[in-house]
Amino acid sequence: MSTSLPRSVDAVAEPLLSLSQVTKRFGNFAALSEVSLDLRDGEVHCILGENGAGKSTLCNVIFGVHRPDGGVMRYRGAPFDPAGPADALGQGIAMVHQHFSLVGDLSVVDNVLLGRERGILNRKECARQLERIAAEYGLPLDPFAKIEELSVGERQRVEIVKCLIRNPRLFVLDEPTAVLLPDEIAALLDVCRRVAASGRAVVLVTHKLAEIKKVADRVTVLRGGRTVATSDDPAGDIGALVRAMIQGNVEALDSSAASILGLEPVTHVGHEPAAKTRIEVLQIDGLSVKDSQGVTRLDNFTLTVDRGEIVGVAGVEGNGQSELTAVLSGMMEATEGRIHLGEIDLTRRSPKEITAAGVGIVPEDRHAVGCVLGMSLAENIYLNRLDEFTRFGFLNRTALEREATSLMQRFDVRARGPAALFSSLSGGNQQKAVLAREMTLPNLSCLVAAQPTRGLDVGAVAAVYGHIRDACKRGIAVLLVSSELDELLTVADRIVVLYRGRVMGSCPADPKRKEAIGAMMAGQPQ
Amino acid sequence: MTVVNQRGSLPGSPRLSLRPSLVVPVLAVAFAAVVGLSLIAMIGVSVPKAVAAFVDGTIGSPFALAASLNRSSVFALVGFGFVLANRANLTNVGGEGQIAVGGIAATAVALYGHVSGSPLGLAFVLPTLAAVIAGGLWGGLAAVLKVKSGTNEVISTLLLSFIGVWLLYWSVQSPALLRKPMTSSATLPESLEIPDATQLPLLTGDYSFPVHVGLPLTLILAIVVSVILSRTTLGFRLRAVGLNPVAARRAGISYAKTVVFALSTAGALGGLAGALMLLGEQYTLKDGFSSGYGFDGLVAGLLSRGSIPGVIAASLLFGFMRSGGINMEMVAAVPTALVVVIQGLIVITLAGASLFIEKLERR
Amino acid sequence: MTSELFAVFLGSSIRLATPLLLAGIGEMVSERAGVLNMSIEGMMLMSAFAAAVGSWATGDPFVGLLFGIVSVLPVALLQAFLSNTLRANQIVSGIGINILVLGATTLAYREIFGARSRAEIPGLAKVKPPLLGDIPVIGPAVFEQVWLLYAGIALIVIVALVLRFTSVGLAIHAAGAEPKAVDKSGLSIARIRYACVVFAGFMASLAGAFLSIGDIHTFTEGMTRGAGYLAIASVIFGKWRIGGTSLACLLFGAATALQFQLPALGIGVPNALLIMLPYLLALLAVGGLVGRQMAPPSLGEPYRR
Repeated sequence: MSTSLPRSVDAVAEPLLSLSQVTKRFGNFAALSEVSLDLRDGEVHCILGENGAGKSTLCNVIFGVHRPDGGVMRYRGAPFDPAGPADALGQGIAMVHQHFSLVGDLSVVDNVLLGRERGILNRKECARQLERIAAEYGLPLDPFAKIEELSVGERQRVEIVKCLIRNPRLFVLDEPTAVLLPDEIAALLDVCRRVAASGRAVVLVTHKLAEIKKVADRVTVLRGGRTVATSDDPAGDIGALVRAMIQGNVEALDSSAASILGLEPVTHVGHEPAAKTRIEVLQIDGLSVKDSQGVTRLDNFTLTVDRGEIVGVAGVEGNGQSELTAVLSGMMEATEGRIHLGEIDLTRRSPKEITAAGVGIVPEDRHAVGCVLGMSLAENIYLNRLDEFTRFGFLNRTALEREATSLMQRFDVRARGPAALFSSLSGGNQQKAVLAREMTLPNLSCLVAAQPTRGLDVGAVAAVYGHIRDACKRGIAVLLVSSELDELLTVADRIVVLYRGRVMGSCPADPKRKEAIGAMMAGQPQ
Repeated sequence: MTVVNQRGSLPGSPRLSLRPSLVVPVLAVAFAAVVGLSLIAMIGVSVPKAVAAFVDGTIGSPFALAASLNRSSVFALVGFGFVLANRANLTNVGGEGQIAVGGIAATAVALYGHVSGSPLGLAFVLPTLAAVIAGGLWGGLAAVLKVKSGTNEVISTLLLSFIGVWLLYWSVQSPALLRKPMTSSATLPESLEIPDATQLPLLTGDYSFPVHVGLPLTLILAIVVSVILSRTTLGFRLRAVGLNPVAARRAGISYAKTVVFALSTAGALGGLAGALMLLGEQYTLKDGFSSGYGFDGLVAGLLSRGSIPGVIAASLLFGFMRSGGINMEMVAAVPTALVVVIQGLIVITLAGASLFIEKLERR
Repeated sequence: MTSELFAVFLGSSIRLATPLLLAGIGEMVSERAGVLNMSIEGMMLMSAFAAAVGSWATGDPFVGLLFGIVSVLPVALLQAFLSNTLRANQIVSGIGINILVLGATTLAYREIFGARSRAEIPGLAKVKPPLLGDIPVIGPAVFEQVWLLYAGIALIVIVALVLRFTSVGLAIHAAGAEPKAVDKSGLSIARIRYACVVFAGFMASLAGAFLSIGDIHTFTEGMTRGAGYLAIASVIFGKWRIGGTSLACLLFGAATALQFQLPALGIGVPNALLIMLPYLLALLAVGGLVGRQMAPPSLGEPYRR
């Protein structure tokens, strides 16, 4: 463990790729400041860091998406300054991006062929190549299936195969495991090891310590765009690496947040039941949803959430969770089934009626559904309750901003002021603002939170958990939808597992049941 | 198909300072004017003579001045509608058709609605209202298509424009509709002249300076639209729907209602513009009635970058340019198409500069 | 309607559909790559004018056609530059170009033709394809068409094959569906989109030349009269497919042909209603029949990395 610049252990061979003092700015914001790093043939090098630490920017600089503003890169013994992805690809660098870049209505083969072949396409030959790669790395795929018919895990496989088929010298993976099942994660880590074993280099970006323990030869930690630590013995240095990642104050961390990081074993934190007697608040009965193509996305989903209870909905993304939240928030119509909030029938009600009934919604896609980025913070905080500030059709902005300021203090939303543009806020503060809006509904009795901690740093995650627990103490029924199983095990009282739109099973949120829940998420009933 | 709004829509009226959003349009107009002058030189007309004819046509006489102001009012109304709908990220390019249906409705009511004898100015108010309603329905049709089947409003308002213009053609061609009684085969395909009582009162009552009540009405509407956009909850809803329709819906703002309001209001303003043209200036409906004013209003709206004072400035510019252009053609033999070239250049320059303006404003 | 009249109707439907078809297929390619090319109207008008001037000046309609094609190139490059490099609003820039071209062609027309307006201009030759053209009645009425139509059909077949079987087609589709994927695969979004807009310009130039020197052998001010917008509507109606777009163009062509056909049959439908019919049909088509999810997902959105 050294907190200085990485030192080269065997100084004989030059590293495959070396970065020294690389800086990348976006406007006034330095995403990377003087980052140094070297990658050797045959190693799996993990990049560890919180959201916003500069991990993706680093990958994009290596892959030629962004050009550094300062510093030097050397690759295979020569200065390296890729003009764009095409240049990097041409020099044997392949990258799996955090967000998929696949064309949904094209087949696997066509996606692989894109940008690789000129002239008339030979799809059959490509399919044969795919099968060879599939066998070699254990990544089975139907070459002629359309991407939109594939599961998230399969799509990830397509992305990986797209890279492997180019036989890269350097393989960069930017947070590839965020959306995968436990089994799929293991398979992916195995691919990384095999690639490294064949003498090539792998860069794996992650914030999951378990993965580092399993696969990393070396680790570089980024924080605030700077290299803050490197280690040649990641498994041994885990504690120190985490301290470097979150700036030392591990002790002050919320214990649930710590366990999400993998720093502590996952323990159920739980809370005292708010009421001795069960009072059913949210009742979902036989809910089914078909999409515009007639495919069933949610199938006969039944669930009750009691007063003061936190029920977690687990499952790999794309198994009906989005549809469930969309229906509960009034953004999508159920084809069958009923939703009740106590005595109130909320089936097929508009978002406005649902809000008025006292259901708070934290949507999974904050930017698309939860806020208007081009409006001010105050306007976003009261987006759904403008009528309170309206007299004779006129909006009282002074009162709006005054009230918003008080909510900003209560929910610790940090911004220049209530008039700050929402898009200028960090992800954590945006999410806190959404929580402030949804949790201060006058008659709140139920909170539906979907992926509420996605993309947030540790401090914000802890704040979100704190608010959810507070809600629960106030006797509010909470439905927490998350693809992070550890999150649900820590925060929820009870977990139901969704698989292909159906309830696969349910059980208490007991960390000892993790394997059983994982199996249910993969479609095996327990 | 989604239309990305390239311009940020900030609330409130713009402060008067050297902001890029003010400077760049001025530069664009200057650039286009220089190109226009070079073109005049190229076609072999004396530039000073052309400019003199241009100025004479705009402010050379009280009549010219009044004609320019009346025309500017028409452009401004269409421009206000464009800006209002654009707040909800809707692009109304149907001004031409909205003017046409407004003109048809105003003519029909003025001629056959038995309103001439009405008291309290209802004689011209009723035809005006009819035009407003017709324009509103015409714009609302595009809104309904957008809400019901997701039809891009650019395509639908454009097609509705063509339909509206041909509808007007039809109604002045057919004796069963608005064509004046055919006394001979030489009877022109146009309506009768509307009765005096239904004509808009002139401000001065003097036909040598025929500015009609449309001008003060336009100024009042400028204030009303400004206030709606910047101070009311309605304006807030338009903006929310324009910036993020999904989040707006989740927050209980009805997308359908907002879109219908935005496009039918824009249409109603277009219809009103048609009424001003017919009841205030032309008095008879004939083919080619809308005269491209809908497009000029659209360009004024584009040029303004979302500000109502901007619409007024651009409308005055175009109103005077049209008058000057007509006089240039008559006196200096410069085709009026030159004015169209200049307008096209202004739109293209501003569209191309929007990225640049955004970057400068973010500083 | 007698079979003879029907053949005439069919023939004029095809003739009137030709400019829509040429422009529509070009527009479809551009939209598939993600660029909504509203300037198709202006491009057609530009070419109609330049082709008329070229044909009139040299006496050779083929040279006129070349004039038309070359004249549209700067217009197409301007559109591509605005919508890709400057990331301008594609609708606004397209409308701006249409206004500019309308003004410029009118101005130039007055300058060049002035007093001699309505001059007859040498037009492109008609051909009868060998077998089809020999069918009695139908042959001359339906299949005797300007050769540009047959060249256009051949081009459209080539476009269909390229889109289906080649890397170019794959790249175009991906550029409209998921531009990020194209960028990350090492291809250039800008190059694909520039090329597609220029191709749309090329097709529109054929369409415009067809209007002035193929169909009526003269140029009139603003003679496209919204044909470009009809071409755009036909792409929407045709769900961004070659077959669908072609059928939509034929339908609009037939609706236009009724203008001339019905009065000939003595059916008293107001002329204005018939002129309006294609636009009305287009409105119903884009408003009623199409699902919105058919459009290329990135249509109209400039790409930024």
